[in-house]
Amino acid sequence: MDVQCAVITAAGPQQNRLPLQRFVDPQGEEKTALQIIVEEVTAAGVEQVCVVVRPGDQPAYLEAAGDDARLLTFVEQPQPRGYGEALYRAASFVDNRPFLHLVSDHLYVSDEPRRCAQQLVQAAREENCAVSAVQPTRENMLPYYGTLGGRLMAGRKNLYEIENILEKPTPTQAEQSLLVPGLRAGHYLCLFGMHVLTPPFFGVLKSSLEQAGDTPISLSPALAQLAGCERYLALTINGSRFNTGVKYGLLMAQLALAFHGVDREEILARLVEMLAK
Amino acid sequence: MTGALIEIITSSDASVRNRSLEQVCGALNIQQLRAAADELERFRRESQNLYHRVRALFLLSNLYRYHLPPQLPADSWGRIPLDGYQHLLQRRFDEALRVFLDQRQREGDTDTIASALAAAYHQLGFQTLADQVRRSVRSVRGNQWMFRVGHPSDHPLRIRPQLRHRTVAHEGFPLIWERTPVRMDLSHSAWSDIFFLGMDFPEGARVLNVSVDLGVRGRDAQPRPPIEVFLRVIDRPVLRLASVDLRAWADVTSLADVFDFAKDYLGLLKAGVIAAGIIPPGLEGAAQGLDEVLEKVVGPGLGLEIVSHVNDIPKGSRLAVSTNLLAAIITACMRATGQIEALEGPLAETDRRQVAARAILGEWLAGSGGGWQDSGGIWPAIKMIEGRHAAEGDPEWGISRGRLLPDHHVYSETEVTAETRRQLSESTVLVHGGMAQNVGPILEMVTEKYLIRGEAEWTGRRQAIRLIDRIDQALRSGDLRDLAQATTENFFGPLQTIIPWASNHYTETLIQHVRRRFADRFRGFLMLGGMSGGGMGFFFEPQVRDEAQDYLQQLMSDTKRQLQDALPFAMEPVVYDFAINERGTMAELVPGSRALMPPDYYALVAPHWLRQDIRHMPAGQQAEVSRFVAECRPGGKLSDAVPSLFANLFPVTNREQHHGDELAGLLTKNGFDAELHEQIRNDLRSGRIGLAQNRLPARTVIEDVDDQDVVRADGEIGGRFRAVGEAALTSGQVAVLTLAAGAGSRWTQGAGVVKALHPFHRFAGKYRNFIELHLAKSRRTGRRFGAPVPHIITTGYLTHDPIQRYLDHHVPQGAAERLHLSRGMSVGLRMIPMARDLRFAWEEMPQQVLDEQAQKVRSSLRAALIGWAENAGGASDYTDNVPLQCLHPTGHWFEVANLLRNGTLATLIRQHPQLAYLMLHNIDTLGADLDPSLLGLHIENGGVLSFEVIGRRIEDHGGGLARVDGKPRLLESLAIPREEDEFRLTYYNSMTTWISIDGLLKVFDLTRDDLTDQQKVLDQIRRLSARMPTYITLKEVKRRWGHGQEDVFPVTQFEKLWGDMTALPELDCRFLVVGRARGQQLKDQAQLDSWLRDGSADYVDSLCDWPGD
Repeated sequence: MDVQCAVITAAGPQQNRLPLQRFVDPQGEEKTALQIIVEEVTAAGVEQVCVVVRPGDQPAYLEAAGDDARLLTFVEQPQPRGYGEALYRAASFVDNRPFLHLVSDHLYVSDEPRRCAQQLVQAAREENCAVSAVQPTRENMLPYYGTLGGRLMAGRKNLYEIENILEKPTPTQAEQSLLVPGLRAGHYLCLFGMHVLTPPFFGVLKSSLEQAGDTPISLSPALAQLAGCERYLALTINGSRFNTGVKYGLLMAQLALAFHGVDREEILARLVEMLAK
Repeated sequence: MTGALIEIITSSDASVRNRSLEQVCGALNIQQLRAAADELERFRRESQNLYHRVRALFLLSNLYRYHLPPQLPADSWGRIPLDGYQHLLQRRFDEALRVFLDQRQREGDTDTIASALAAAYHQLGFQTLADQVRRSVRSVRGNQWMFRVGHPSDHPLRIRPQLRHRTVAHEGFPLIWERTPVRMDLSHSAWSDIFFLGMDFPEGARVLNVSVDLGVRGRDAQPRPPIEVFLRVIDRPVLRLASVDLRAWADVTSLADVFDFAKDYLGLLKAGVIAAGIIPPGLEGAAQGLDEVLEKVVGPGLGLEIVSHVNDIPKGSRLAVSTNLLAAIITACMRATGQIEALEGPLAETDRRQVAARAILGEWLAGSGGGWQDSGGIWPAIKMIEGRHAAEGDPEWGISRGRLLPDHHVYSETEVTAETRRQLSESTVLVHGGMAQNVGPILEMVTEKYLIRGEAEWTGRRQAIRLIDRIDQALRSGDLRDLAQATTENFFGPLQTIIPWASNHYTETLIQHVRRRFADRFRGFLMLGGMSGGGMGFFFEPQVRDEAQDYLQQLMSDTKRQLQDALPFAMEPVVYDFAINERGTMAELVPGSRALMPPDYYALVAPHWLRQDIRHMPAGQQAEVSRFVAECRPGGKLSDAVPSLFANLFPVTNREQHHGDELAGLLTKNGFDAELHEQIRNDLRSGRIGLAQNRLPARTVIEDVDDQDVVRADGEIGGRFRAVGEAALTSGQVAVLTLAAGAGSRWTQGAGVVKALHPFHRFAGKYRNFIELHLAKSRRTGRRFGAPVPHIITTGYLTHDPIQRYLDHHVPQGAAERLHLSRGMSVGLRMIPMARDLRFAWEEMPQQVLDEQAQKVRSSLRAALIGWAENAGGASDYTDNVPLQCLHPTGHWFEVANLLRNGTLATLIRQHPQLAYLMLHNIDTLGADLDPSLLGLHIENGGVLSFEVIGRRIEDHGGGLARVDGKPRLLESLAIPREEDEFRLTYYNSMTTWISIDGLLKVFDLTRDDLTDQQKVLDQIRRLSARMPTYITLKEVKRRWGHGQEDVFPVTQFEKLWGDMTALPELDCRFLVVGRARGQQLKDQAQLDSWLRDGSADYVDSLCDWPGD
């Protein structure tokens, strides 16, 4: 499987300004969140990127993308009809190819030389199937994430066969149907906001949209359906995600980038100084 | 041989595993029994299998309770080691067993140590089972996370956005309205839904359970789901809980209060909120505020209101109202937090199972417990609920044979047709007989009998299983006559074989009358729940059902009137209208603009609204007040509630005034001494008297008696004594004195009924009460010796009129002439206890610690009661109850003194001048009879009073025979200065006393001739009374209210006790050691089963000559 294109969704009503935020990246350079995300996908071998935006947001995104703007194609979601519909808007761009999908309100920091998206794309290539990035997450965070249940693949330490996916489950539901052998008690595999998906997924989305009418649809039910249609795996990423859309999310994301880069010592020193006051 | 006991535990062959202890141990001699006990003890310590261990524990308990003692020599009495007893109280059962077994090793087997071992094994067995159920409940998937949440920030639940959405800014939030039926057990499967049974014997755990709507006949227009729960978001960061039926509501503002179950009447609502995970059990003890949790779950500045309503269905209906209410609360909370997918409508099967698991958790949290069928109301219609074998992946796998949660099969209309369902509704009459009963002991008995496989009981259980198949078949084929026959056979067959106490005189009287009236149009009887007398079912031909409903209402009321002195009725009997509920629990989301609570809710909260300034109310509440006012207008939905609202605002006081007058009349009539009462009040308040002051000075030397202090009469007594006794009996020198003036608090649990008249057991084919039994013994003695025995029964303010009425109706003329009632001449007025005394009783005296959660609930209740006593004022008069429950008897010392004062003894002596002796005994000492040998012993020894004592068992508390500063006397436990002293005493006082009349009169400084001089008698009684110690005691008294609700309050009273006569230096007292069967007392109804099983009942029966025999 060769993953050459990516789709970034940025049309959510509360999140369309987040990719425009400025950060200092691990190399100490000022960049927008959009630039950092585009770097993440290009490092994984992607050459074309589609960004799904709200009507009227394209100029600001073009400006925020800087030199990377040449890689970008913009698609608008005219009405806020949910995450699933936003992604479906990119169907023509993807054009029957496997694709990498990221959300625009997350930044990723890898704990190994390969970036997070690289790890995911490599796994998809090796397994030749759809793979979603996941992270073991404590149950108190369940209200924020799609969560999946599955079993570790024989002989693998970080790849799971997906059996079920629920969007923001309650812990009661999670305990009943999303337990994953091998994880610590009270921990579940929550989606990382990064997926490699195959073209049939748009078929699943299409039928979901037809059934839903005007009701917004989210991604998790469609992903759960995909698990029933084709081989679909989950990969625990050796890295961390940072949701910039939550309280102190921007701050935590910036700290994470700084701690993983050239300015680590300086930032630590400043923090200690602040703490000592 | 001995391996046989282990084999019946471990064998995979059911025919071996189901052999009874009797079959294996029946023929063993004492050495073989000892060896079997030792081997079982080793086995239970080494076995890794939980149910093997539990069965071994119960076999050991039964071996030490029923099999070993009869083979021990008559004088094998010993002492209970104090440290073992203390371990037992603290629930350190293994440590207690180690101490008891060490003592057995050192001193050999005694009846005393066998009783201690039996108790310890019994309690450890139940503790092990309870621990396993608790573990299973916690480990059910979907429940585990709640025990991991220890901080509000960790809370993973969020309220559904729809519940926070107001369509208009200044209206209330939407309301979840959950409506739930209750469940009727159509099969009564021999209590097979007890968790312990289902988890060990899943193939035998089956119940046919029907969800029903109810209405009280004559009150409600039509049946409807009786349970309603309302849940909504409110504008204040509190948990507002309201129980409309219990007339209670509160704003809970702290986490500690959420977990304080017994603080108020909102314990069930709190348990529901916790079990639903809104306040997860893991947060118990957290230092954070409730508002922090609510902020996380509901939102900043917001809270939740949950209101419960059971349409005033009376308590004790045996329809699992409480459990289904709990399940409904949990369901509403789980819907609100998205744990159940459907916000409205019925539940999916997986959700029902989750709710059932949470309901079990909630019951454990609240310290209560039911069976696994009890939350059946959330399922629709008719279903078979069956235990299931544990399979790989279940939390029970490898631990117990069965799963905690059963499976539910809901019958389709093909399996049970609509016509059959209609006919079932039209042929069934459901009633609440009005009796209040504690079924807890029954459930323990059932469990124990199952685990030891008592022969008759096991046969009964297998019959009951076959009957369920028949009931199932009858339903499927629509043969409801056969169904009714099967449930009737079940009641009169297996159920009473397993638990004879499941039936009672009241129930059987009803069945008898119904059968007589309706003949073959009465199809049969259905027992509901733990025991009969409360909720019950009667099946009739459909065409006579209406007539039968009217008849039953009248019959129950009439029968209750006849028996209400003897049996504890909590309420007026009720007939229900009912219908099968085909939907199970259902919810509706009511928009804020239309959201209304039940009418009685407003009667509860409106008085609080009036105390507030409406302008300062949150917007949502203001909107609600406006809507309430609008709906109260003529034609509004709440217009009918206006009168009750006014009644709440301006409570009427006529009833209290009436009670006050009646109380004053009773006090005057029964010899209340106002002066003494005031003196006791002052002494209590000043601390001169109280529980701690009952004790003898600490310097008092308390020792056990030695052989010279007692006369052994528990073996063969010389023929000489027998001849003397027989001569006295033949010449009519002896009368019986039965003490029946007391309230029998432990037996009746403070219900204020007459223990003496309780028809507690069937003898010679009929239910007999205590008085009948004692009279039957006197009749037998009279016949044997050709001289009818005069019989005196002492009575008091509570017991006199009912006993008199009973005797008037039931004793033939000839016998009545020899029967004398000695009416009490003194009475006390109960007082609110001093908080100091409550703390002494509950915190300083040794207490049986309860299982973890039950102990928490008890501590919470006790804290609330101490608060009540402080607020009400210690030593104030206790008048907040019906007048008879405000009085108290003044102790059995006065019962003897009254005999002199009220002229009964004088009359008796006039009628029987030869009378020289009395045998005094407690109403509950059933084995006491006019034994000629003991009488001869008393006469020949020459003492004035000969007290009978028995060897102590672990359950015998209340003092005993001791040497006090060198003099043998009976010592009340109230007076023992150090608790360990009681454990040094070998003998326990049975209270039975042989009295030489002239010697007794001499102590009072009276002669037979003086008995007609009332003033002299009174003066002498006062003189001697002053020398008798006065004890301050705490007793429990029930206060009934609402629909079958009962509260139990501790009250202070005083008493003088007969045993203290032994402390008089001038009085010659002797002490006769008698056999256990003779001295055994029945203080508590929970003792009945072992009393029946250990042969005591047969022994008592052998002493009686029943009328008409």
